[in-house]
Amino acid sequence: MNKPVDNAPKRKLLAVFAHPDDESFICGGTLAKYAGEGVEITLVSATRGEMGRRMGNPPYLNRETMAAAREIELREACASLGIRHLLFLDIRDKTVEFTDPGGLAGRIEDLIREVDPDVVLTFHETLGGHPDHCAIGKAATEAFRRMGHRGSLYFISFGNAMERPERFGYSRKDVVKIDVRGYLKEKLAAFRAHRCQTEIDEWVWLPDREALSRFGGYEYFLKGNREVPPRVPHDLF
Amino acid sequence: MMNKIMKPHVEAELRSFVGTDVYIHSEATSFVFVRNFKIHVTHAYIAGDGPFRAALRFDGHGWLRMEALTHYEIAGDGRLLLAGYDDRGRMNAALHIGKEPFPE
Repeated sequence: MNKPVDNAPKRKLLAVFAHPDDESFICGGTLAKYAGEGVEITLVSATRGEMGRRMGNPPYLNRETMAAAREIELREACASLGIRHLLFLDIRDKTVEFTDPGGLAGRIEDLIREVDPDVVLTFHETLGGHPDHCAIGKAATEAFRRMGHRGSLYFISFGNAMERPERFGYSRKDVVKIDVRGYLKEKLAAFRAHRCQTEIDEWVWLPDREALSRFGGYEYFLKGNREVPPRVPHDLF
Repeated sequence: MMNKIMKPHVEAELRSFVGTDVYIHSEATSFVFVRNFKIHVTHAYIAGDGPFRAALRFDGHGWLRMEALTHYEIAGDGRLLLAGYDDRGRMNAALHIGKEPFPE
């Protein structure tokens, strides 16, 4: 039997986020799912999250040790999720919005050109929830649009907020809902990899079955290029 | 590793900076940080029974005062790191003093 899929070009996804843990806490199930299906994933983190407030519980980090610790944790989370490529933009945490926007968009443009992804994920520039998120989302969106890239752009979203997109000025057809119920173990492993950030959350460290029951079964993405004809509502590719 | 502040020890470390030029990282975590301002320390103090207050006088015209400090580390390369954590490991404040600039 021929398996034409073997000859198909590899599908690629580029995720452009702000801090270590964005990839796991917000859309870890989706990344694990696509990695499991053979999608090649590149994660770009603008910062190393070195200005975070959670320093372990009990605390074992300080400002000067945090960047290296969180990089190690992110590498472990990437391994749990199946993310093969990890890059940092080396911007100091909490200062992304003060970084020259044109230059930042230019760097992301170079990455898009190099990776040539089918799908780009980033933050929505006003619904991102944190100034660093909004700033990196704005730059990535600008880069994607400036080059007229062939792929699809999606904005990640928190929890099940986009179950009711009308509240944010969007409609159902703007939302892709990904079933991640088969990938919650990987997501939990990634949560635990980000130890200094999750030690404070007791539920993460409950026995697996109990911890897994805290996750929703779906992750939601907002379409960033609405001009593209609607695709399957349950798939980013 | 961050240790709970032992006042006499930290006091001695703070005083060792008196009369020298130092770089400071200071922050009230949820509100402000200042990284790598350079001062000439003329006086250094620690007060309280825990959490602690620390203060520096500098350059003949300035004060830096911080409260809620709970932990410290002597980090090598002439760096003293003070921090204040809540009871679940979240940072409220930090005061780092070094002979060389901290990585930007």
